[in-house]
Amino acid sequence: MPDNWGFVLLAYGLAAVVLIVYWRRLVRRERALEAESQPAARRT
Amino acid sequence: MFRVVGGLTLVALAAGLVMAFGVAPREVTQGNVQRIMYLHVPSVWVAYLAFAVVLVASIVYLARRLDGADRLAHASAEVGVLFTGLTIATGSIWGKPTWGTWWTWDARLTSVSILFVMYLGYLLLRGMIEDPDQGARYAAVLGIVAAFNIPLVHFSVYWWRTLHQPPSLMKPGPGTMPGVIVAALMVNFVAFSLLYIYFVAMRVRLLRREAEAAA
Repeated sequence: MPDNWGFVLLAYGLAAVVLIVYWRRLVRRERALEAESQPAARRT
Repeated sequence: MFRVVGGLTLVALAAGLVMAFGVAPREVTQGNVQRIMYLHVPSVWVAYLAFAVVLVASIVYLARRLDGADRLAHASAEVGVLFTGLTIATGSIWGKPTWGTWWTWDARLTSVSILFVMYLGYLLLRGMIEDPDQGARYAAVLGIVAAFNIPLVHFSVYWWRTLHQPPSLMKPGPGTMPGVIVAALMVNFVAFSLLYIYFVAMRVRLLRREAEAAA
């Protein structure tokens, strides 16, 4: 059977993209919450 | 703490890639495309783990009304949906060169799709209900009911005639796989489990901060 490296790259590439996008989404949301809470903390 | 777990996860994922591509041998029948297994099987393991955590956390929430248990269930369901989606996608990519088709409605593929849709529904339900207590209560009930699908997915390959092969590892009795393949899988199981812990911990912290910001 041929090795079908293209399918292997597609699977690992897709997984890498999905996991990195999810991680970046969490990090961005966390930074946004920190930015929102900082002015409120300064006012108090 | 987060950085330690994150660093360990990165090291474990790198080790998993080395095991999958550098140590594990080329499979005789399928060729190198079989290396997708080191991604596909740990992904479904994390999905099972995540939904089992949703089940336990949902029971704890209904019994004790602990906000932490609700947040854990929510975070774990989200990560579980992510890894179930990855399982379906990588399985489909693996299926094309080995089965000759991207998709077929056999028992395993159908039951895992139902699992994916049920937990996607769980997340949508949480987003739809404005009252957080009511949303948490309804989600906990759904989190318990949906967990009944996990054994259905796992044992579907025994109960029905399917194109999908039976489990080679998560089954009773002695294993039939060569030790080096089992070792490569184990390293990836550890790496993906660490990634699950890292994502869930991050998501729980985020949910807590969102709740504090909304209060």
